[in-house]
Amino acid sequence: MLSIRNLHARVEEKEILKGFSLEVKPGEVHAIMGPNGSGKSTLASVLAGREDYEVTSGDIIFEGKDLLELSPEDRAREGIFLAFQYPVEIPGVSITNFLKTAINEQRAYRGLPPMEPKEFLQLMKDKKAVVEMDTNLTNRSVNEGFSGGEKKRNEIFQMAMLQPKLAVLDETDSGLDIDALRIVATGVTRLKSKDNATIVITHYQRLLDYIVPDFVHVLYDGKIVKSGGKELALELEEKGYDWIKKEVALT
Amino acid sequence: MTTTAEGVSLKEKLLADFELQKTAFFPDNPVLSGFRNNAAEAFKNLGFPNKKWEEYRYLNFDNFLKSELNHSLTAPSHPVEIESNLIVEDAYNLFLVDGFYNRNLNLKNEWPEGIVVSSLADAIASKNIHTLMHLGMHSKSDNDAFKALNNSLFQDGLFIYIPSNVNLEKPFQIVQINEGNEPKITQPRILIVAEENSTSSFIHLQITSNHSQKTVCNGFAEIVVGENANTSWYNVQQIAENAAAVQTTEAYLQKNATFETVTVTLAGKLIRNNLTIALNGRQSVAHLDGFYFPKLNETFDNHTLVDHQVPNCESNELYKGAIAGNGTAIFNGKVFVRQDAQKTNAYQSNKNILLSEDATVNTKPQLEIYADDVKCSHGSSTGFIDSEQLFYLRSRGISEGIAKALLLDAYAAEVINKIKHESLRNKLSEIISEMIQLIK
Repeated sequence: MLSIRNLHARVEEKEILKGFSLEVKPGEVHAIMGPNGSGKSTLASVLAGREDYEVTSGDIIFEGKDLLELSPEDRAREGIFLAFQYPVEIPGVSITNFLKTAINEQRAYRGLPPMEPKEFLQLMKDKKAVVEMDTNLTNRSVNEGFSGGEKKRNEIFQMAMLQPKLAVLDETDSGLDIDALRIVATGVTRLKSKDNATIVITHYQRLLDYIVPDFVHVLYDGKIVKSGGKELALELEEKGYDWIKKEVALT
Repeated sequence: MTTTAEGVSLKEKLLADFELQKTAFFPDNPVLSGFRNNAAEAFKNLGFPNKKWEEYRYLNFDNFLKSELNHSLTAPSHPVEIESNLIVEDAYNLFLVDGFYNRNLNLKNEWPEGIVVSSLADAIASKNIHTLMHLGMHSKSDNDAFKALNNSLFQDGLFIYIPSNVNLEKPFQIVQINEGNEPKITQPRILIVAEENSTSSFIHLQITSNHSQKTVCNGFAEIVVGENANTSWYNVQQIAENAAAVQTTEAYLQKNATFETVTVTLAGKLIRNNLTIALNGRQSVAHLDGFYFPKLNETFDNHTLVDHQVPNCESNELYKGAIAGNGTAIFNGKVFVRQDAQKTNAYQSNKNILLSEDATVNTKPQLEIYADDVKCSHGSSTGFIDSEQLFYLRSRGISEGIAKALLLDAYAAEVINKIKHESLRNKLSEIISEMIQLIK
């Protein structure tokens, strides 16, 4: 589904990703862990197509298409979803209007007619239940005045509405209390299927208690330095990142 | 000033018009005659503004204020389109064409008893007491050339009187049309007197029709808001691409009065608004908001003055602009807190979004505070569409163009939503949305 090969990317003059590679197949959950500054958020931004990030070499193939050639909107329409670490507030744009527009733009890209209003409302209702989202929240402007937890829940709600093939969760656990974390993680787990894949980017292991990964990768200094199963996350939790840094230094 | 081959400038021509008419215009009303003479004298001394005037430095009227313009003495005789010129359906509709109140239209208006709606000339002729008391009595004539010109040359206009305790649910819809069949300068005049405890609202629609020639509309609206009265004034400006307008609006607030005004400037070559709100009754409250959207070759200039004269008053001001193409916007907002006006709350904000590299904004917020126990703030910002918001929307599959339109709709809505009439609000949102979609 997703194939990232030897990716190098920089912001302004600083190289952040230095030969990052990853293969993701349908149905898989990959966790990418790493210390601060290792390049985790850069990876998320590059996948979503943020313009400040420049890819200097390497490639990203998603479902047979060269992702780097696509605009951010076309990436979304191809089925990539980024749950933002810091979702932006958009005063005056209601969540309902925003999602209706997004869904219908994605449908148009796939040659489908706009969704029937009735169907849309039913979908909203169903998906709100998945993330236990307050009904009134969707009448409000996107993220405006939302608490940290509400913002993250709104990200997962959007993901549920848009039903992407590949979801990238960028530090979705940051700033969440344990209840919010459980709700968000349960939402993600319930949306999992054999056809879609998830990349969970996180600093801490605790989210992975709820979203159980098939693979755990350690990102350090712009590339993956270690991969393993879910037990690797536990090891990191226990020992911290220093032993990885030492291992890297030795090689 | 531009002169013709004969060497007569527009200024001289208009002053000559004034001399010709002055004895014919209500000679039996010495107060009015004196007032017009003074105004003409003021205009003579001031002349039309040029770029050296601080208050007009960013505006260039040179292409408009030419001697080919005629001062219109009579109303156009051909019929006026009614339905197509209205912006909302359910309102008391009134038409001012080239500054003349159109009595002949069968508009089926049935307003509550006691309300007076009249041609201004008729009101003066019948020595209407409220007209005598208020027309031109609240402000000085010598501080602005356009105001002085309107004061000295207006022939007619509209007078509306709202008696005490009347609570009007329907708005008045005043359609102020400039006919563009010949080059002309018009002087529409409006006087609204809202008595104590009354509630009323007015949609002031400024438009043009048959616009083949250059015209200048030099309007002046005076609004007296009585004790405990609540008056709304919504000004919508959408004139032809070869038309200019200067609209002076002055509101005088008495004790506990509330005045809410929203100015929406959407189309026209050159539009200048001079809005003055005088808070001269204690506990009076003013809300003044504006949205302006200059596009290709358009210049929109909003000058506002909030004059806090007495203690315990409040003013809230939000003006927002979107500037596209090579459009130019000017905002100059002055809040004046006089020495006596303790416990004043005054807030002002001006925001601008530039939609192209060629767009221009000149913004100048000014606070002048002479009292020491006040809460005042002002702020101004100018920038491009927020790139983070844009990226967020695009990352959900929304194209850049539609994402920008969504953000701009929301940006304008913050001002448009201040309008209390739902149908006007919806109509304006629709018009603005269409304009946004046309720019890219």
